[in-house]
Amino acid sequence: MDQATDAPTRRTTHATLAQARVIAPVRRELRHAGVLSVLAGLLWPVQAAAIAWCIAGWANGAPALERAAVAGLVFALCAALRALLDHRAGALFFAAADQTLSRERAALVRREARAPSATGSAAIAALAVQKLPLLQPWITRYHAAMMRVVVLPPVLLILAFSQSWVVGLTLLVAGPLIPVMMALVGMAAEEASRRQMDEIGDMNQMLMERLAALLDIRLLGAGEASAVAFGARAEALRERSMAVLRIAFLSSTVLELFAALGVALVAVFVGFMLLGEIGFGTWGTPLTLGQGVFLLLIAPEFFQPLRDLAAAWHDRAAGFSVVAELDELDRAERVEPLGTGAAAAPLPGALSVQVRGAEAMVPGGRVPLPDVSLAAGETLALTGPSGCGKSTMLAALAGLAPLASGRIDVCGEPLDDQTADAWRACIALVPQRPHFADTTLGDWLDPKGAGTDPWPALHLADAARVVEGLPEGLATRLGATGGGVSGGEARRLMLARAVLQRGDLILADEPTADLDPETAQRVIAALERLRASGRAVIVATHDPVLAAAMQRQVEIGA
Amino acid sequence: MRPVLHILRLLLTSAPGAMARGAALSVLVLLMGAALLGLSGWFVTATGLAGLGGIGIAFDVFRPSAGVRFLALGRTAARYGERLLTHDATLRALAALRVDLLRRLARLDGRALSRLRGEQVLTRIVADVDALDGLVLRLLLPGTAALAAHLLIFAALAWLLGWPVALAILAGTLPAAALILWRLARRGLRPSTDAENEAQALRRGLIDTIRDREAVILSGRLSEQEERLLAHDAAARGAMAALDRAERDAGRALSLLVALVAAAALVAGGWLLSRGVLDPAKAAIGFFVAVALAEAVWPLRRGVADLGRMVGAARLLAPAPDAAPRPAPVASNPDAPLLRIAVPGLDLTLAPGEAVALTGPSGAGKTELLLRIAGLGPGQGLELYGKHPDRWQEDALRSVVSMLPQRSALVAGTFRDNLSLNGEADEDTLWAALEAVALADVVRERGGLEARLGEAGAGLSGGQARRLALARNLLKKPALLLLDEPTEGLDAATADKVLRGLRAFLPRATIIAAMHRGATHEIFNRTATLGVSPAALSQGESSLVLR
Repeated sequence: MDQATDAPTRRTTHATLAQARVIAPVRRELRHAGVLSVLAGLLWPVQAAAIAWCIAGWANGAPALERAAVAGLVFALCAALRALLDHRAGALFFAAADQTLSRERAALVRREARAPSATGSAAIAALAVQKLPLLQPWITRYHAAMMRVVVLPPVLLILAFSQSWVVGLTLLVAGPLIPVMMALVGMAAEEASRRQMDEIGDMNQMLMERLAALLDIRLLGAGEASAVAFGARAEALRERSMAVLRIAFLSSTVLELFAALGVALVAVFVGFMLLGEIGFGTWGTPLTLGQGVFLLLIAPEFFQPLRDLAAAWHDRAAGFSVVAELDELDRAERVEPLGTGAAAAPLPGALSVQVRGAEAMVPGGRVPLPDVSLAAGETLALTGPSGCGKSTMLAALAGLAPLASGRIDVCGEPLDDQTADAWRACIALVPQRPHFADTTLGDWLDPKGAGTDPWPALHLADAARVVEGLPEGLATRLGATGGGVSGGEARRLMLARAVLQRGDLILADEPTADLDPETAQRVIAALERLRASGRAVIVATHDPVLAAAMQRQVEIGA
Repeated sequence: MRPVLHILRLLLTSAPGAMARGAALSVLVLLMGAALLGLSGWFVTATGLAGLGGIGIAFDVFRPSAGVRFLALGRTAARYGERLLTHDATLRALAALRVDLLRRLARLDGRALSRLRGEQVLTRIVADVDALDGLVLRLLLPGTAALAAHLLIFAALAWLLGWPVALAILAGTLPAAALILWRLARRGLRPSTDAENEAQALRRGLIDTIRDREAVILSGRLSEQEERLLAHDAAARGAMAALDRAERDAGRALSLLVALVAAAALVAGGWLLSRGVLDPAKAAIGFFVAVALAEAVWPLRRGVADLGRMVGAARLLAPAPDAAPRPAPVASNPDAPLLRIAVPGLDLTLAPGEAVALTGPSGAGKTELLLRIAGLGPGQGLELYGKHPDRWQEDALRSVVSMLPQRSALVAGTFRDNLSLNGEADEDTLWAALEAVALADVVRERGGLEARLGEAGAGLSGGQARRLALARNLLKKPALLLLDEPTEGLDAATADKVLRGLRAFLPRATIIAAMHRGATHEIFNRTATLGVSPAALSQGESSLVLR
């Protein structure tokens, strides 16, 4: 019940918000473009008049070729002007859309890279790359159609009435019926286009799933059977969507029917009036041939903007749904990292870390952190049940999560916005989940492009053999899933990368999770070698073997 | 262009009937539109002449006015039919394109097939397939229809009004429109490819930056990374702007062309009138028809502008020209040992009914070896019934070997759908296989074989999904069963049940299982250790430890 009464208001505020966010900043450009577009539309009556003048002249025995040449020239010149105006208006509309796309995308990229929301990276990327461009048809096509609808049909209607009130009345009756129908048809067209998008979406979903399972399918010898089954499901989808489209298209056909009948009626009325079979319909004097041709030519243009608007109707809805997603992201809770994230010179003092009475800010709350102090060459394990704050502790130590209270001192200085970048130049982090960006392994290991020889670090982290085993060595592109290396290998590679960052302090989040005992042992040995080389190590772990290998253990939440 | 032609042939042959009917109706719509405006123009002018001449009473108004109404209604109806049929044909073509892709990609090797799991690879494939959807609906059908309509109207006008008017329309429109569209296609080629590539780069980069965010911030590269992403954005938008510009230029040229052709038709009509060949009403027809024909050329612009994107997509998706054809299948020798493995670090001959646990450190290449035995990689050093697995015929090989890959995937559908991917089995066998992998109770709890699973088997735990995939392999009753970490994600008791169950279900099959733990389970007759490399062997690890 509540929802039913709520829905319209929500939709209105929603529309207002979307309007304010996307349309208001480019209102001037849109108005400018709209004026040009309307001017182009207003040239049509001039062209129609030239043709009417020519044909009327023909009937009256004026020199036919000369009249045709003059009228043809006027017609073509107006068309050229019209094409120029449309071209310019299109450029302005596009620029407005481009400006919006640029602004929203930059905001999205900057914010999500710094402080991501809970929305997944794939969803953010889809929004930035595929969905944001959906704002464009709304800003361009829909608005162009809207502005033309406001001016052109009324002007043409006045012109029609000035010639013949019957024709004007015909258009007036058929015309407003269109906006009335449009609510209905617009919705149906929206439904049709959405349905079609859904349908393609479903088919793509199915395709992705089959492709992802293709190795299994091939190994089962089910390739052909699977292709046939896919074909059958696609066929079923087609039948279902055709059933919907049959109805959806019917409603847009009704719109066209009105336009077609309107034009046909005008032609027939004009014909009968010219024959004198209908004696009414004009303002006293009988209709002339010229007036008749003029009316015939402007009638289709009376309906055209209305039809354009109907076709662009769903662009607006698509735009709204993109704005809704953007608004949703604006409201998401985020935690900003300390500092700017830019490169900086390392902190000068000797390595030390002290955490005292600190609470870290996380989305939706605070997490108390244990008191800890650590110097160079020391190792520490943070243990405790899942969700107790081990990863948050590491994030706070790296300046990725700001403190709500208490303090963390690093190298003798408080860790804050001023010192965070310099502090991060002293440390390295091994995240819990491996992620291999779309670059070569060499670039991934040395993101700053310092040109340091990676092999000592690879040996230290017991990852040299992993690289040697890859088909193209350091030039291999591992891609997003890390396909080609196992979990243990990925972790050793991440460790090598941390070593290459020249971190004096290594923070490692569950470095032995999901590893078999033998591989875990190699990772632990690698960490031990790091300590022996004078670095400090803090690990967050569930693994009792790893925890025991560290000099000290701190249980969080104890 | 070759890849585009391949895709085109595929799309056309997928639903020739629907495609032809759709094209025919598209032509009909254009013809009726031209006829409607032409007839109306003639009717108004003729009635005007009759009125002037005072012969209004004698004028037959009913047939033309009925014609106008018929054409108005008929055109609307034809338009409805056209929309339905072309969408129907497009949907059929979409399905055909995807089925063809599945068939072709299934022939890739093991490594390439595993790569298909990557989200980015999948997204790119789907984006490319989507781009090709426009080939039929936006390019092929309207293009054919426009051409056919022009030729038919040319014939009709030549017969009705004489050559000059007909020529003014046809000779004016066709070559010039073709030139404009050709130029647009050329101009759009680069930007539409660039726009797509830059958009993909932005997409990948954004995902990389968010997922690797901690490392990016720690290495002080955040702003640098942002700038790089924004540079991709700028490049993508720049390409889109170039494409838009090309499209608008073409639009301007086309609308000017249509106006010039209409003007030329008017002048041609005037000329014939001045020579007394035509009356004014007929002389006007050419102009009205020319105006109506604008709707034939105009919609092509969009499709042509996207041609570059379509060509790019077709290149990526079309079959590679058979660079390295699979070696010709040779006859197997049924008397040869079932499987002989002689690769660096491992030398092993397997007889029917044996079960071997394959062990070795991560990265030793256990998965790779299993995939090669399954014929999805080079077959050197491997002999299955005396012949390299990659020299077997696909169907024959699959009837002998079945393999459970390390990360097995399920599909949306019922339990039965997942179990019968490679063919139906009777009810009892299905349940027996489920019992064997200790999954029968789970299936029963969820309502039996017809219970539905979510996308990619959502709703099952990792261990359950694994066992369902295993049951699928058992149902094939292969002579050689390859298992890559079959007990991963299972607790010890279940793992034990599953291993016993599968041995009992396939008492005569040869089994090779890559195992992290549990290699000493009693179903295995022996353990084979795959060394990391010859270097590892020299450190004293024996390549094959027989128990």
